[in-house]
Amino acid sequence: MTRYLREYFDLRVFLATLALVVIGLVSIYSATYDARASEIFWRQLTWSGIGLVAFLLVTFLPLRTIQYVALGTYALSLLMLVIVLLLGKTVAGSTSWFTLGSFGFQPSEFAKVGTILALAAFLSRSDISLRNPKHLALTAGIVVLPVLLVMMQPDTGTALIFMAMAFPVLYWGGASRFTLLALVAAPAVAVAALFGTTPFFLAVIILGILLALTSDNRVLTAAVFSMMVMVGISTQSIYDGLKPYQQKRIDAFLDPSADPLGAGYNILQSTVAIGSGGVFGRGYLRGTQTQLNFIPEQWTDFIFCVPSEEFGFLGATLVLVLFLLLLSRSLSLATTVKSRFASFVGIGVWGTLGAHVLINIGMSLGLLPVIGVPLPFLSYGGSSLISCMIMTGLMMNLYATRKEH
Amino acid sequence: MNAPSDIQIHTKRRVLLLIVIGVFAVFIGRLYQLQLLYSKEFEDKSKENSVRVISTEPVRGYIYDRTGRLLVDNRPAFSVTIMPFEFDRASIPHLARLLSLEPAFIAERLKRGEAYSRFAPVKIKRDVNVETIAALEEHGELLPGVGYQTESKRFYPTPARATHLLGYTKEISEQQLRVLGSDYTQGDVSGAGGLEAHYERILRGQKGSELSTVNALGQVVGRYLDGAEDKRPIEGDDLLLTLDINLQAYAESLMTGRRGALVAMNARDGGVLAMVSVPDYNLSFFSGVTPPEIWSRLNSDTTAPLFNRATMTRYPPGSTFKMVLALAALQDSIVSPSWRVTCRGAIRVGTKVFKDLHVHGPVTMIDAIQKSCNVYFYELMLKAGLDPWHHMGTQFGFGQRTGIDLVEEQAGLLPSTSYMNRRYGPRGWTRGYLPNLGIGQGELGVTPLQMACYAMAIANSGTWHQPHLVRAIVNKRTGALDVLPFSTHRMEVSARHWLPVREGMRRVVEEQGGTGGLARIPGIQSAGKTGTAQNPHGPDHAWYIGFAPFENPRIAIAVLIENAGFGGSFAAPVAGHCLRFFLERDRLEEEDARPPSIMAASSLPAASSISGEGPR
Repeated sequence: MTRYLREYFDLRVFLATLALVVIGLVSIYSATYDARASEIFWRQLTWSGIGLVAFLLVTFLPLRTIQYVALGTYALSLLMLVIVLLLGKTVAGSTSWFTLGSFGFQPSEFAKVGTILALAAFLSRSDISLRNPKHLALTAGIVVLPVLLVMMQPDTGTALIFMAMAFPVLYWGGASRFTLLALVAAPAVAVAALFGTTPFFLAVIILGILLALTSDNRVLTAAVFSMMVMVGISTQSIYDGLKPYQQKRIDAFLDPSADPLGAGYNILQSTVAIGSGGVFGRGYLRGTQTQLNFIPEQWTDFIFCVPSEEFGFLGATLVLVLFLLLLSRSLSLATTVKSRFASFVGIGVWGTLGAHVLINIGMSLGLLPVIGVPLPFLSYGGSSLISCMIMTGLMMNLYATRKEH
Repeated sequence: MNAPSDIQIHTKRRVLLLIVIGVFAVFIGRLYQLQLLYSKEFEDKSKENSVRVISTEPVRGYIYDRTGRLLVDNRPAFSVTIMPFEFDRASIPHLARLLSLEPAFIAERLKRGEAYSRFAPVKIKRDVNVETIAALEEHGELLPGVGYQTESKRFYPTPARATHLLGYTKEISEQQLRVLGSDYTQGDVSGAGGLEAHYERILRGQKGSELSTVNALGQVVGRYLDGAEDKRPIEGDDLLLTLDINLQAYAESLMTGRRGALVAMNARDGGVLAMVSVPDYNLSFFSGVTPPEIWSRLNSDTTAPLFNRATMTRYPPGSTFKMVLALAALQDSIVSPSWRVTCRGAIRVGTKVFKDLHVHGPVTMIDAIQKSCNVYFYELMLKAGLDPWHHMGTQFGFGQRTGIDLVEEQAGLLPSTSYMNRRYGPRGWTRGYLPNLGIGQGELGVTPLQMACYAMAIANSGTWHQPHLVRAIVNKRTGALDVLPFSTHRMEVSARHWLPVREGMRRVVEEQGGTGGLARIPGIQSAGKTGTAQNPHGPDHAWYIGFAPFENPRIAIAVLIENAGFGGSFAAPVAGHCLRFFLERDRLEEEDARPPSIMAASSLPAASSISGEGPR
């Protein structure tokens, strides 16, 4: 039995997943606690049960089956994204939900898994090379389709996750440095431009030099360079074109104290919650920021504040260590598996979970602007929880099938 | 590696792992910064977020007279409040009708309060009667968020008014708020005038605070740490006055209907026994909310009832001032008491003629004081010059504040050589200016309080006590009696020089031909001096200063009656009645063998709650 376990069951991933799910339940219980456990907690507990079933199912599915259904899953998730736009329920200005009875369902969360599988299936074909512009374009298309559909809901945060996930996959798949640089150039310059003119020029100079160094086609380099400059220059007008709430979030990120009761409110309250936790925390159910609801909708995007406030530096570090464990594990799986498909799945999971953790915790710590992205396993939400558990289930599967070609 | 057929797969893994480690290092660093380096600051911020402080008012200190009789008490008063987040604006007209206020006024107050917090009660009307509170409770369902607070207001249980010396309390102004500082907030009450203002910090006590936990909406969800960090308000300390409330009431009754002031002092320590300024007003007008019509009436009254004449007027003292010159001349050996002047009813200095009321014939110093001969003092002033006179006046405390424990006090004016040089230029004034000053006329300004101190110093043959109203403060926490220190000084006048001056003053009252015979007290020898101060705006001001008994004086007095006429006719009898009233009761008390001025704190009635059930 132990021998079987060691051979086919990745105990570390299993325990890390379970620990994160439990920390999530404990945190949601606290964030929504009002004299007794809330409806929200019981629902998340239900989702955890369903998630566990999905997790184990994915763990023990034959790798070939997964590879076989990969494109079908992708197609199905695209279909659902189209249907949700037509028939979905609008919550907080975003049409991203199906409702089945009292349970909601968010197709974009499953589209993440579908896209990982589709990318892996496509890129693992031996006749595909990312140095080939046509193949590169097709690969980009796999990502851009769901991104466009998600943007139409609109859900900027999720769209960002898709793009962030695609980047390491392209890197892994052998895209040229120039390609990778060209992809980051425009957004990097745009962000720099938001901070001011000097950062903008610095970014343009540094990226320009790097592009020139990695380039093998002058015309293409010039095109990328000029696009990058154009994007940078038009940042102000893009900013003007954003919705007011999006503008406020950017402003608040650039200076959270400028409007402490408005858009900067969440960031300030979140840092206050985390900071007041100290080393050992203020005790479970005793964090005043959490218990007195100073952070709006804390059980969703700002859930990281709960362990940080109530269990302090120790609690927050534990959460980080568990994520670090999952991320380094998915990297080593991607490296060691014999199947090309499995390797790409591993790196896709790495990119997706990593992007979530980076954006969500960075936001909670006041290091990044407020972008509505859930923290895997901890944030309230069945679709997110289940899709994350499917992803770690995939990691389990990679471990079990690591020797298959 | 047979997966992505890239030989650099391990390098790529290392790059991505480095990214992960880098990001997590930044996260841990940030957590270290927030939770370890600055956790104290964030804890404070989080506390600020979730803890709301509601201050509780201390009971203001009580004021007792010298015998322990309660002069200033507290009574409950009701203030109507609105809790903005519960209040329905539609009920403003209804509330306005019940409180007889303008709807716009309520809306304005509400708006200002809301700007501060929607969860803190806003005071709409202070000092509302019980009937109104009952009506509000009856209409409670129609008036959500309307409530009331019980506060205290001043109540004056004695027959005497003691208006100007007690002072009143009122809601502090924005300007005061800036001056008084952080212990005060808008809507607080503070002393305005008199003892209430001078002893504000002592009477007020310290505010308490109740901490409650609030949620992000500002709603109170419970007490913070079960009240462990709440602070109870500390009651204000009580004042024990030197004032004799019976004498005060009696003096007020004598002064009623006149304009002027009276100050009576304990000759042995400078404690004020009575201080009257008329016209006055009823302090109860100010105890709750002062109706604007009363305010404007008092403010526009040409007789200035808000003005404390005892410490704030600046009139020439007339003949009452003659002893200053007499003592100056004796001390500087300019004349002896036997120096004689023959009064022919007037003298001429240069082109000016200075008159007297009578032709007194040959007079000595004692005669001149007794009969108030002007010619004697004209001549003496010309002989002595300004400087000795000014020096003696300064020793008596003229031209300076006495330092009495009241906020309102005038220094008055005692002209010196340098003042005259400044005023008229070094050659701009001549000897012709002097005679008038010698008889207490001209550019001389004194307060009745300074005059009472002057009478006291003569009574004591040169011991000047700083006048004061508060004898001791009862510390409410310890129960200890803090007796306040006041200064005393000996004047630089040889003992023998007081004899002719005091004898002259005795004869003013006791001998035939004295100008102050109406101040005489049966059975007790007293001394005094009348004064009739010319006044360009109307009839003369009547002055009298005096002390009694002549040997071992117990009480000194100064009386000013504006525009009355002769001091001997109008001021002297008032002074005489007061001296008699005090000394007869004082004698009774001494026979009772009860030391009147020493009382242990424990014998004081315990100051009680704001319900006004304190001692009467």
